[in-house]
Amino acid sequence: MEIIEFADLALKEAIKLGATDVSSICAKTNENLIRFSNNSITVSKNIKNLELFLYLAKDKKRIMGTTSNPDIKGIKEFTSNLIKACEALSPSPDYTPLPKIETHYAPHGIYDEKIVEDGIKLIEFVKEAIDASLSSGADRVSGSLTASEEDLVILTSGNAIGEDRMTKILLNVRAFSGEASGHGLSCAARLKDFNPYNAGKEAGEYAKASVNPNHWEEGVYDLITLPTVTADIIQHVGSFASAFAVDSGLSFLADKIGQKVSMDDFTLRDYGVIEGGFGSRGFDDEGFPTRENIIIEKGVLKNYLHNSTTAKKFNTISTGNAGIIDPHPWNLVVDPGSMSLDDMIREVKKGMMVTNNWYTRFQNLRSGEYSTLPRDAAFLIENGRIRHAVVSLRISDSLPRQLANIVGLSKERKWIEWWEVSIPTLAPSMLIKNVMITKALG
Amino acid sequence: MDEDLLISAIDLAQRLGADYAEARLHRTKELGCILRNGAPEPAVIRDAYGIGIRVIHSGSLAFSATNDVSRDNIKNMVENAVKRAKASLPLLKYKILLSEEKSINADWKAEERKKIENVSFEDLLGLLKDIDNLIKNGKNGVSFPNRLLESSTLLEEKVYMNSDGAMIKSRVPRVSFSSYITTSYKGRTATITIPSGYSQLGESGGWEVIERLKIFEYVENEAKNLSLAVKSEQKPPKETLDVILGPQVSGIIAHESAGHPGEADRILGREAAQAGESYLKPNDLGIKIGSKEAYVSDDPTIPHSNGFYLYDDEGIPARKRRLIEAGVIREFLHNRATAYEFNIRSNGSSRASHYDKEPIVRMANTFVEPGDYSLEELFEDVKLGVYIKSFMEWNIDDKRLNQRYVGLEAYLIEKGEIKGMVRNPVLEITTPKLWSSVDARSKEVEFVGATCGKGDPMQGIPVWTGGPNMRLRAIRLGER
Repeated sequence: MEIIEFADLALKEAIKLGATDVSSICAKTNENLIRFSNNSITVSKNIKNLELFLYLAKDKKRIMGTTSNPDIKGIKEFTSNLIKACEALSPSPDYTPLPKIETHYAPHGIYDEKIVEDGIKLIEFVKEAIDASLSSGADRVSGSLTASEEDLVILTSGNAIGEDRMTKILLNVRAFSGEASGHGLSCAARLKDFNPYNAGKEAGEYAKASVNPNHWEEGVYDLITLPTVTADIIQHVGSFASAFAVDSGLSFLADKIGQKVSMDDFTLRDYGVIEGGFGSRGFDDEGFPTRENIIIEKGVLKNYLHNSTTAKKFNTISTGNAGIIDPHPWNLVVDPGSMSLDDMIREVKKGMMVTNNWYTRFQNLRSGEYSTLPRDAAFLIENGRIRHAVVSLRISDSLPRQLANIVGLSKERKWIEWWEVSIPTLAPSMLIKNVMITKALG
Repeated sequence: MDEDLLISAIDLAQRLGADYAEARLHRTKELGCILRNGAPEPAVIRDAYGIGIRVIHSGSLAFSATNDVSRDNIKNMVENAVKRAKASLPLLKYKILLSEEKSINADWKAEERKKIENVSFEDLLGLLKDIDNLIKNGKNGVSFPNRLLESSTLLEEKVYMNSDGAMIKSRVPRVSFSSYITTSYKGRTATITIPSGYSQLGESGGWEVIERLKIFEYVENEAKNLSLAVKSEQKPPKETLDVILGPQVSGIIAHESAGHPGEADRILGREAAQAGESYLKPNDLGIKIGSKEAYVSDDPTIPHSNGFYLYDDEGIPARKRRLIEAGVIREFLHNRATAYEFNIRSNGSSRASHYDKEPIVRMANTFVEPGDYSLEELFEDVKLGVYIKSFMEWNIDDKRLNQRYVGLEAYLIEKGEIKGMVRNPVLEITTPKLWSSVDARSKEVEFVGATCGKGDPMQGIPVWTGGPNMRLRAIRLGER
């Protein structure tokens, strides 16, 4: 059976059993992954899955479920069990009918069969990255390379039919020179945009530049975030733009529509489909068409991201970002600025430049107070010049304050997705004024 | 689960030249409910079932997984795994070899009085409605305008076999509760979680877990205490003082700065590009990291625990691991591959969260061991101090040396007595400084549930973190 036949059978069964709203999504995924450390492959993985997702509503009662690789009998049982469980629920005051969309979505075409046609070629990419790191000054290299494809179909009771097919190739390289480390990434939807050599070289060069870290004091600094760090900050802003998060009281963006939240040149968009965007989808989980949404335009918060349920609550229309419960971004894009990285460094009297980070955690989701840890290469900047490498610093600030204090964006941008950044994000470097950097006791 | 599938997969891998093969049929079935401000969100069923296969050929490791468990497809996946292992050989600098272990046949189950299969969405939602009724009107003059409550059950069943002859069947049900609450007081809004620190109330077992957790009493007490915490205006003192950390804080510290750095795969560099490495090096067993009062253990065998298991996902018996004893690093967490590198036997720390995740070194229930003080005795000779009972924000660097915990419920102590609450004290401290500052621990240990993330692709695994109240001497706190 083809995946569209699975989805169709589930849809028909659910309607036959009395569901008024059904979204039936079937996905087939194939992922090849190579992990390496200490210049050596540690494991080569292949994961193949077929999964059916079903959302249904009956008498304003709502339920959703996923099941693994069902056959015809399995789909009938799964659907029947879901209906029975649904009938026992309470009606929801938030119930909103699925949108009526008589549309047949064709695949968006951001797909490259070369990415998954031959797993063995991935070894060559890994070798290229390791060799580039070593020849740039690293003495040991770790990382992972993932190449994956997904075939996806949707059928809804609102008459939407959609098919999509996407690929991505993600390389994460961490190079070490003694105790110092550097990080490099290459992330692409098409093989022609993938460059393992540059990712390895960047990691190796940063590792080499980070040896012999020197003293720094806790305090307030101007901060330059390179694209990997920018992407982490931006993915949180994008998630806080979910109308579900706002409506649940869990977003610092609540009650700020129309308000100035950043500088005039800062514009943040979410694209359902964009060339290069490896999170691209032509339709959301309700069968609604995805689109370009402006979250922040010229520093002003313009829109939250909606599904049908949150749109009804906010008296607006869906933005095509369902998630049945929680709307979410597909591909976040920050508009480019006008500066080069050198321009930014020259602007800074007392600052830090951070190339990578991890472990972002919030004290208060409404105030956006948080901290995150730079890792790999970080540098002290004084009077427009990089002075020396620094280690063991922590960005301890708040997202709204940082957004408001952005004073520069780079022309150059980079697509980012890796272990710490799960939403594909096209990110520039950012210059942020007056950021609190703290240091551990001891 | 069809055990013949595992036998045929392992046989085929060996016929294709694999030196070692293992296969695991693994089902995780989860029911989840969310109640938001008294209204239900869509209920959720997630049923994942499939097979994970690992093979080693000439020291090269490959992993294949699929939820298509037809014989033809499994044959393809095994062939693919062996082919991939061979293909990696040109870039294999260090062979992956496994420690010699006794092969065991076992069939084990976590204790379960009220069968998890009999728990319905009505039960899960009913629980949340009862909890919401307890807190919806706020506490101590603080309103809770937004309340997002979550309850879930998880049933995990596995059959595992390897080419060394091990065969393990298991069944672990789990129940958990977590929540996000927005507080409002005099126009100031904040978010808290119950339990604090984005953790869960979670145990292995059937629906009796809800009674065992005393969940209503717990949530109501936390709601009262945390509502007072968000009203607090007083900043923590800036001078050097003593700090007493509550069980939730000592628990997260045990997990982050003793458990993770003690994972042998991190120590050997395997997780370097993702979860990171460790301040500990392979020959660091026996080094002193803390005071004689620093004791941390990890024990998968604690009955009812969230991280409960009796055999790991390589068929190795679980046992308690003493990570830090009297301030000395005593043991690392191992799977068979890291145990081989250290020339020892595995201590049974290998786990996979789902069929399509490879088993890697994981913690189970990591905790600071209890001491012999009462809480009152810990307070007694503190001239100036802060008691940080719970936290929200926390993080630690990828070598596990530089960590931060920001208090939520926290109290000022003067001359051995509590003198009101302080707002968001920040403990930002290095690992050696932290463990060297411990001078006393209380008798009682408390645990909360958590989901620990590691691996690539990321896999979240159920754990407990816990500890007693723990006193640190001569500390400086920051403020938020």
